[in-house]
Amino acid sequence: MSRLVAEPPTPTAPQPVRVGRRRRSRQERLAYLILLPALGTVFVIVTIPFILVLMQSISADDGTLVGLRNFSRALGNPLLYDALRATGVYTLIVLPTEILLGLTFALLVHRTVRRSGVRAAVYVLAIVPLVVPPVAIGVVARLIYAPSYGVLNVILERLGLLHQEINWLGNPTLAMLSVASVDVWQWTPFVYLVLFSGLQTVPRESVEAAQLDGATWWTQFLYIEFSYLRPLFLLILFFRLADVLRVFDHIFILTGGGPGTTTQLLSLYMYRIEFKFFDSGQAAALAVIVLVSISILYALITRVLPLERE
Amino acid sequence: MQRISRREFVKRTAVTGAMLTSVTSIQAFLAACNTSTSTSSKPSKLTIAAVQGAEDGPLKKVAPMYQSQSGITIEVVEFPYDQLFEKLVTTFQANGSSYDLCMMDDPWMPKFGTMGALQPLDTNFGFTRDADIPSIVYDVGTWPPPNGPVPPTEQGKSPHLYGITIVGNVEMFMYRKDLSSSPPTTWDDVLANAKKFNKSGFSGYVIRGKATNPASSDSLPILWSFGGDIFDANWKVMLDSTASIDAITFLTQTLKKYAEPGAENTDAADRDRLIAIGHAFQSTTWPAEVTGVVEAQGVSQVIGKMGYIPIPQGPSGKGIGMMGNWLLGIPKGSHNGSYAAAFIKWLIQADNMKTYVQNGGIPTRTSLLNDPTLGQANPYFPALAKSLAAPPNWRPRTDQWNAVETIYGTAVNQAVAGLKSPKDALTAAASQIRTTMKQAGYPS
Repeated sequence: MSRLVAEPPTPTAPQPVRVGRRRRSRQERLAYLILLPALGTVFVIVTIPFILVLMQSISADDGTLVGLRNFSRALGNPLLYDALRATGVYTLIVLPTEILLGLTFALLVHRTVRRSGVRAAVYVLAIVPLVVPPVAIGVVARLIYAPSYGVLNVILERLGLLHQEINWLGNPTLAMLSVASVDVWQWTPFVYLVLFSGLQTVPRESVEAAQLDGATWWTQFLYIEFSYLRPLFLLILFFRLADVLRVFDHIFILTGGGPGTTTQLLSLYMYRIEFKFFDSGQAAALAVIVLVSISILYALITRVLPLERE
Repeated sequence: MQRISRREFVKRTAVTGAMLTSVTSIQAFLAACNTSTSTSSKPSKLTIAAVQGAEDGPLKKVAPMYQSQSGITIEVVEFPYDQLFEKLVTTFQANGSSYDLCMMDDPWMPKFGTMGALQPLDTNFGFTRDADIPSIVYDVGTWPPPNGPVPPTEQGKSPHLYGITIVGNVEMFMYRKDLSSSPPTTWDDVLANAKKFNKSGFSGYVIRGKATNPASSDSLPILWSFGGDIFDANWKVMLDSTASIDAITFLTQTLKKYAEPGAENTDAADRDRLIAIGHAFQSTTWPAEVTGVVEAQGVSQVIGKMGYIPIPQGPSGKGIGMMGNWLLGIPKGSHNGSYAAAFIKWLIQADNMKTYVQNGGIPTRTSLLNDPTLGQANPYFPALAKSLAAPPNWRPRTDQWNAVETIYGTAVNQAVAGLKSPKDALTAAASQIRTTMKQAGYPS
């Protein structure tokens, strides 16, 4: 039976000095060995599928190579641009709203709530939307916005604010706002949690010094706290952009992409190309296009918003 | 007790991890290549991939009976509608043996038939037609289709039976018989009733207009009854024909005036709710909606107040229902084909099907549909028997149907929502469908 023990101390006899390459090489070998399971897993679940998608994007259904024909078909499909437009509008609604609301909540709680119990309660409340499955959120949202029995219309009618039912999911503008509101509800807490944790890292001395110098709420935020939060904004932007590209469940349940194709975001469009049109070549080409585009976008964002605090 | 150093411990752990990863990768690779071997001995269980909902409920209820008689357990693995289709397609592509039987919606048959994904039930397992079951029920499970246009790649192939219907769904029509003395026989009657009974809080008609499949399913019987269609007998797209445009104009403009608010976002559950709480007069319907909601005790306020009839006649002089049969088939990858076939034969035997119906099943046997005892509990059975005998239409038998339905269902939704005129929506859809079909090798 083996037992784990600490390595014994070096004996008194002088050891030959292991310098330079050999010693480092042994450590490196060990490091690579340790990394191997993780790298192997990444290779199996990420690299191989990516290579398969690349192959699929330049192949026909029967496996023959067709060059860039799938890419030209994907880019030539007018529905792609409808989906891109819808995704762009959705992103422009949800990202600024979530960041603004999340930041406001984070600053409010950070500056006004001192009792740790209350902070913990807010923390738990913020976690809840994040752990609810998107399908469940979609179903609940449908009960809120649905025509004829939607809770929102009933409340507005009972409050006397509404005399004719609002068609939340049937009007193109309202449908987009409705599906976006679900996203804002679910993901604003994520922004709040990230920014709130960032605010905890701001040194109290700096804040106190600024306050002694007469800094207002706004200047305190702009010149001290913002510099600590900047890398986190980038993190939020990265995560949320990736999420927006994956948004599917609640839109599928709420509107099915309608009315027409108004709320058919890129993910829903790609799903339909793959699983309704069974055009796996075009779907793979779309996946590659999206991957390359988002990589370029991320690189640009990183340049514009440097990760390091100045 | 052997002592090992921390470094040695880390090294051994890493080596073990690497080996495990390699073994897992090889196993995954082998599984992907489907290198498993087949067995012909009696299995302890048969696995059915089934759709979750009213369609597979009765199947689950009668499964224990089969187990007690045969000693073979029936395991029903359920998936939501869309996921079941995707799961089956990926399983068939890999020629997987995960499922011995699969439930299939009838529009999936062209896809599975073209893929060669199923085992022929007639030649392999001796299935023959039963006179008590309408021919159309066997036809819908046959590939290539024995009548109507055949996809170019399938022409010349001899037809075989690949699926047996276990849920005899046909789209029908329901109306409030307690408010109207006579059932509507034409779409003009439907319109007149919609006008007559429409008032604040009570819709004269319910349109199931949500984008894609719902809007498509709701409008196709009207399209056909008006003499329109998506394809003609030679796969030529005729969605932009006058008859087709008239049909969709009738639904999305004329009838919509008396329809529920938010029709463009109404799905089956919303429709059933409106009918069940007594807020609407009439609509098309599927049997599962009737048993699941409209006539369900404790759920519906209109039990006994609804009349069920085949789809009313349009200007073409016909009222054409739409098939939505659920079939059982045996995947090619199944190693237990003969036992799976024995289960299907057992299930469609008259006495077993009666038990199945008593547990909520929708039969295909004419004798059961016309059985007055069963009809008391299932008031739509006579209408279903008439609809099956009519016969109903099936959705175009092409493996491109999902794409076509998505395009067509989106166009109808656009027309219902008022985003486009019916003519513009259908013209654009026809153009898209032509492109899709042409790319798939059809002479559109």
